[in-house]
Amino acid sequence: MTRLILVSGKGGVGKSALAASLALAHHRAGARVLAIDVAATGGLAAHLGVASLAFKAQTIKTGLNALAVDRSKALIEYLQVQVGMPGLATLGPAARFFDALASTAPGVREVVTLGKVVWEVKKKQYDVVVADCPPTGQVTGLLRAPETVSSLVPAGRIRQQAEWMSEILRSPQRSELIVVTLAEELPTIETEETMSMLDESKLIGSTMIVTNRALGRLRTEAKGVDEVAEAAALHRSLFHSQQEWLERLPPRKKFPYLFGVFTESEIAARLSDLWGE
Amino acid sequence: MAKAVIVTGAGGVGKTTVAASLAVRAASEGKETLVLTVDPARRLASALGVKLGGRPVRHPEVPRLWGAMIDGAASWITVARRHADPAVADRLVKNEFFEAATVHFPASQSYAAAEEAATYIDSLLWDVVVIDTPPAAGGIEFFTAPARMADLVGGRLLRLLTGGRIPGRNALFNRGARPLLRFADQLLGADLLERVALFLMDLRSTYDGVAKQSKRIEAHFRRAATLVVTTADPAPLLEAARFFEELPEVAAPPVAVIFNRTLPASWAQAEVPARTSAELADNLHRWGAESQRQRDARAGFAARFAAPLCTIPWLAESPTELAGLRSIIDLADGLPSLW
Repeated sequence: MTRLILVSGKGGVGKSALAASLALAHHRAGARVLAIDVAATGGLAAHLGVASLAFKAQTIKTGLNALAVDRSKALIEYLQVQVGMPGLATLGPAARFFDALASTAPGVREVVTLGKVVWEVKKKQYDVVVADCPPTGQVTGLLRAPETVSSLVPAGRIRQQAEWMSEILRSPQRSELIVVTLAEELPTIETEETMSMLDESKLIGSTMIVTNRALGRLRTEAKGVDEVAEAAALHRSLFHSQQEWLERLPPRKKFPYLFGVFTESEIAARLSDLWGE
Repeated sequence: MAKAVIVTGAGGVGKTTVAASLAVRAASEGKETLVLTVDPARRLASALGVKLGGRPVRHPEVPRLWGAMIDGAASWITVARRHADPAVADRLVKNEFFEAATVHFPASQSYAAAEEAATYIDSLLWDVVVIDTPPAAGGIEFFTAPARMADLVGGRLLRLLTGGRIPGRNALFNRGARPLLRFADQLLGADLLERVALFLMDLRSTYDGVAKQSKRIEAHFRRAATLVVTTADPAPLLEAARFFEELPEVAAPPVAVIFNRTLPASWAQAEVPARTSAELADNLHRWGAESQRQRDARAGFAARFAAPLCTIPWLAESPTELAGLRSIIDLADGLPSLW
């Protein structure tokens, strides 16, 4: 059975870095892994150490593949594979027509985008599919899309697809959403709001909160008024402020603040050691 | 007409705090000031004395300071009511696709926010209007929203759905002529297309109003002072660079870039005195490396773009009280004059 792990969080918290690190961690543990960029920001590619990702899966290393869900290509593949409209790639007007329709009909675009992800889970080629998703502000709309489509479309093939997608997404054995947050006010509030919405709606099998960029405690007191004392003072007050937010919303895991200059792929490699089992 | 100051940048860099601080500063310099913000942190909202969706309210403690919080979804309803016949507007806001259009078409929320801002700028009640751009817009989209909104309600989607012509309400689709429509029916069920098209036809009746407003908003963008807020982290920096590259097409170029969360430059190569504990020496080295990374990022940005570069120090807690908001702009180093 393929496991699906969706990764989201408020903008700027390091979603792509943690999604890439999770894919690397599973790969190191021997799983066949597919990493998918649903956010379409290019962040996942950089953290996996490649220039860009395409809609067709590419091999990062043996057992680790990655792709990016391009909105219009997802639509074309959807129409070909699931609806059986052949030769659409060259059929510009049809693609534009459905693109226009998908912009207006609620949930249709999301079902097509998320549909690509869940389709990869359904195909059972991989042990784990890790999806780097849009920010929390949009991810609930994404997860709700199958229901939205089912309520709006009384029949039709897209409704059938919405139904099997829902089943996979709601299964606690198969699907999990990891919400990445920071120990700061705005990310904490946004995460709380997302979690309460998800707890109520049960749109996703299980959820987990992880906090990124956590600082360690300084044990020594600094004396004097030099840079040593200044840096210690800033570190201490940031650390204390973080403890407040960590207490309010305790995460399952904490990932450390990485100081200094690293490339994106170095960051992902470092974080991948910290996922544990 | 008020001087508009637009504060923009990637999510999570402190835009709202900077906008609030600028407004407090303008008011303290004697300007009648309105700050328009979109869904700020609650503690900041209470420091500004604003409520969601409300009309501008006077700050209880700060003379000449007003605040209003824009609710993107609610403003859409206002737009529909302002620009469509009452009966059509009623039909629009009750339509099953209406909410979807507001959510799925991010430009609509930005447009609604910009239209409200334009009204306040023209109202002659304020000298300075500070606009905190909506997070959903994710950058440059706030500035391109008016044009794209006019495009949406102008019937581009409707023409695509109906094959180039704008039909009457009674004769929407000729299925025999368009095999594509039969596929669409298979995919989505038989009547969804009609329902979508009817909705778009109603939306189209707002076109004249929206097109006129779009022009007015664009004119305001060209006269506004835009400040780009960023941190030295790679993702916000990329976003900031996009503003400098693309903004001149749709608005006045940014007047300055503000690097928030800046560490003291002196930490980068600071000498660690003898007998400093290993833990504290390590701590300074780690933060010193961050300071160096930030300095390089600022130098790289300054080499690419000519605008003034301003820094705000890294504060442990983002200020949510008036005293803190005042001090932020006092701490800001290199800010050009804005009003």
